[in-house]
Amino acid sequence: MTTFEQRLARLEEIAAELDGDRVDLSRALELFEEGIENLRAASEDVARAEARVQRLIERADGSFDLDESDD
Amino acid sequence: MTSPRRRAPRRAGAADLDLFEPSDAPRVVPPPEPARSYVSELIEHVGYPGESARSAVTVSMLTETARDVIEGAFIPIWVRGEVSDFKAHRNGHWYFCLRDRAAQIRCVVWNRDQFRIPAAPDNGMQVAAFGRLTVYAARGEMQFTIAKIEADGDGLRRKALEITRARLEADGLLALDRKRPLPRFPRVIAVVTSPDGAALHDISAVLRRRSANVRLVVVPAAVQGASAPEELCFALDQVNRWGGADVVIIGRGGGAHEDLWAFNDERVARAVAACRVPTISAVGHEIDISICDLVADVRAATPSAAAEAATRSQAELRGELAQLSSRISSAARAVVRASADRLRHLARDVAAASSDHVASRRAQLETVAGRLHVLSPLATLARGYAVARGEDGSTLDSVAAFRDRMSFELVVHDGVVPAKVTRPRKESR
Repeated sequence: MTTFEQRLARLEEIAAELDGDRVDLSRALELFEEGIENLRAASEDVARAEARVQRLIERADGSFDLDESDD
Repeated sequence: MTSPRRRAPRRAGAADLDLFEPSDAPRVVPPPEPARSYVSELIEHVGYPGESARSAVTVSMLTETARDVIEGAFIPIWVRGEVSDFKAHRNGHWYFCLRDRAAQIRCVVWNRDQFRIPAAPDNGMQVAAFGRLTVYAARGEMQFTIAKIEADGDGLRRKALEITRARLEADGLLALDRKRPLPRFPRVIAVVTSPDGAALHDISAVLRRRSANVRLVVVPAAVQGASAPEELCFALDQVNRWGGADVVIIGRGGGAHEDLWAFNDERVARAVAACRVPTISAVGHEIDISICDLVADVRAATPSAAAEAATRSQAELRGELAQLSSRISSAARAVVRASADRLRHLARDVAAASSDHVASRRAQLETVAGRLHVLSPLATLARGYAVARGEDGSTLDSVAAFRDRMSFELVVHDGVVPAKVTRPRKESR
């Protein structure tokens, strides 16, 4: 799954490439479409505000679990 | 660390509490009475122990009796004095004297009790020491056995801080170029703190207010008390082994100076430095900076400030996205515009190039036509000359070509005239 941070990084790349000297029209339209898609997904990420609080639990075998805390 | 005053009664020992009320005047305990028969026998033959040369007691008996008396007489107490002759012995124990103008007492801090004392005292320090008066029989000396020391002006803590700081500095752990940038958009924030402390509450309140899209993962640890340094180290180690956090906040809410002490512990500082992800330290509301603050990548004044440093608000993120969006749109528009411009230029170039071509062709044509014109007999004819052609079309260009009564034609510039030879031929010359 693409993270918000990855999406933003990709958007920065797209903007930088579009700003560059050597972009032909078809490439520009391709980048623009990809940019719009990423912007839409990133906006959805932002809207999905969930400040969850969990607690880290270490099991006897050294593996970890997350427990929902009732904070 | 809990207050010494609260702990004092427990350290006094159950027997002391049951038998004595703490009082200012030291109480003397009478030596235990020997069994009746032995005593009466002793008194009958030699008198009371030590009463005469014959009943002289041993040195051991004397010092042991003195120890019983003295150690039974005092509950643990705080004593104020100046430190002198301090020696940290090879065996790990500390020896020194506490003195005032008129008196002094030998003191010892056993190795096992030193963990409660931030740092070894220096000669000349004014301190209050908590301990019990004992007798060191081997030397026949009184000795104050100390469990806690508090120096005036918190001198020991400051000394401990300086020592820890110097050691961390020597290992390069305080170097500014070690500081890592925080992730711009963390998804998981580990919080090493007490699960029911104010810090956790403050942090989650900030995240809710900012509607930040992050998960808080609490890694519980005691933040004060004797076990706090170890628990904090363990929790940081858990964060490392778990590997699911993007950033770690370690800290606690405000409290008394000594409640924050665990965050000055060298082990905790080293555990923070060993953290695999960037760290934010948020210890209390103190203006004083803890050692933990110095080692962490970012120091926040409070846990709330730490939460703000770690996350971006929804509004901020929306702003960022809007900026990217307009940057991409205008860049794309610029590309389209540039392409359209290029196309227009090309069209003009093609048009210009083709019209040039036609003109030059025309000029060429005209030149050729001109030359053709010059060469054409029509031009000569136009000047008034005529060409005689026979009936077979051959040019009749000499007298000999004409026969008597022969028909021929004259070609002039605008047509052909039929003609006939009517007179005999006459050659010129």
